[in-house]
Amino acid sequence: IKHLLRNYTGQTVVFFEVEILDAKTKDKLCFLDKVEPNATIGEIKSITLNMNLIQNIPPERCGCPAVTSCRLCLSTDPQWYPARQSIRLDPKGKSLKDEDVLQQLPVGTTATFYFRDLGAQISWVTVFLTEYTGPLIIYLLFYFRVPFIYAPKYDFTTSKHWVVHLACMCHSFHYVKRLLETLFVHRFSHGTMPLRNIFKNCTYYWGFAAWMAYYINHPLYTPPMYGEQQVTIALMIFLFCQIGNFSIHIALRNLRPPGSKTRKIPYPTKNPFTWVFLLVSCPNYTYELGSWLGFTMMTQCLPVAFFTFVGFVQMTVWAKGKHRSYLKEFRDYPTLRSPILPFIL
Amino acid sequence: MAAHAATGAKTATNDVSHKRRKGPGALATVYLVIYNVVMTAGWLVIAVGLVRSYLAKGSYHGLYYSIEKPLKFFQTGAVLEVGIVPSSVVLTGFQVMSRVFLTWAVTHSVREVQNEDSVLLFVVAWTITEIIRYSFYTFSLLNHLPYLIKWARYTLFIVLYPMGVTGELLTIYSALPYVQKTGLYSITLPNKYNFSFDYHTFLILTMISYIPLFPQLYFHMMRQRKKVLGHLEEHSKNE
Repeated sequence: IKHLLRNYTGQTVVFFEVEILDAKTKDKLCFLDKVEPNATIGEIKSITLNMNLIQNIPPERCGCPAVTSCRLCLSTDPQWYPARQSIRLDPKGKSLKDEDVLQQLPVGTTATFYFRDLGAQISWVTVFLTEYTGPLIIYLLFYFRVPFIYAPKYDFTTSKHWVVHLACMCHSFHYVKRLLETLFVHRFSHGTMPLRNIFKNCTYYWGFAAWMAYYINHPLYTPPMYGEQQVTIALMIFLFCQIGNFSIHIALRNLRPPGSKTRKIPYPTKNPFTWVFLLVSCPNYTYELGSWLGFTMMTQCLPVAFFTFVGFVQMTVWAKGKHRSYLKEFRDYPTLRSPILPFIL
Repeated sequence: MAAHAATGAKTATNDVSHKRRKGPGALATVYLVIYNVVMTAGWLVIAVGLVRSYLAKGSYHGLYYSIEKPLKFFQTGAVLEVGIVPSSVVLTGFQVMSRVFLTWAVTHSVREVQNEDSVLLFVVAWTITEIIRYSFYTFSLLNHLPYLIKWARYTLFIVLYPMGVTGELLTIYSALPYVQKTGLYSITLPNKYNFSFDYHTFLILTMISYIPLFPQLYFHMMRQRKKVLGHLEEHSKNE
């Protein structure tokens, strides 16, 4: 049904009807009978959803400027905040983006969307800050040999090996760097992630930090086999990769103007640490792997090697995904690049 | 531990949708039928071995030795079915892993527990379960599943599962003092890899993990049973 009406500028506009169905049960959740064609998905989400059906809510109550009248609309319930709503064209399809405009979607003038609850959401910044602060503090607890970890005679003693002090500085520096980057450098595409991720992620980071720190700061710790030589080279690798990783984060940030979610192909800049973009799609992960390899060499500790390996596997998965989406999105994407390891992976 | 649960887990839903879902190709079906027949036969050999040994000895002590080799062979062979069998890969993989762990890392590795009655407890539970499970798969593949087998698979677990779990836990428990005394599979500090592992603690943690896992799997099987066998009650009501 086309509503040909004149809007406030006197132009003839075709209004849309939008019905939102539950993706699982196909129940009708919301029916909006006059939606402006240039309304975005984000605006539609801001009509917060609730299971109580209230009929004929006047448009002022809906809070969405694009909707001029609302039939089966649902009253405001802060439970269904937009971040946890997934609106999609197909019940099993991909989520539409908040920026998508109604009239540019492949829908008729009566649009049917499917709704899925993504569950409680938490912001990326919160998750990052929590998951990085943990290792910072936990490692220091082991470094200072706080009671109940090692035998009582070692409480509040410090290791006699200088590599242990160095390792503590490197580990702490790494996580402080991450925290500062989260606060000041990164520009996030998604605002939120499911709440349960914070428990999963924290268990991973905090658990591994405790496991590694236990052995490195143990009274029976054995310093690296090749002594000062091994530690010095490891430190060089670690610092080199920390600077490299930071350079990549800055380069990626500069690709994206503040507050935007645009995506562009990253290219090498004047900073030599970014020249690795010639060979790799996600050099931030490459440098991260390098840092942890350096730390493994520095501490000669098997749990650190495990942590490095597990992290490498996860980063490879992420890098391959990112590489694939670059290839899909940009036809002119450089063919020389590999996801994470030049020419290899 | 996941013995009986995993077996029922996803196959029930597959039974229901069995006719709608496309079956494996002809060659794959032949392979699967042969595999399941061989496994059924293997566990029957173990069953027969247990009975014969019991009759010969006159008691049920130390029967483990009479079936040690086929038990190891066929239980380890189950690794082949992960991802092949209708049940979910995660569930099957987990069950096979836990069975193999008990067979090799506990019973085989700690000789002193091999005489324990708890070993017989889980071996009997596993044997009966596997004979029914593999014949279930065999008949399903041939599209001639006797109701008795289906009933047995979704009913006997009620007794066999707790029986198997009890046997397994008691066996691990009896292995603890020997593991602690000998430091079996354990690594201590200091060493140049700055790593340690205490197998004794690991076994205790394994035992504790049964507490959350066992009820979940058991009640999952109960639900599967209602789904698969539930229609029986409806029919008798209608008559």
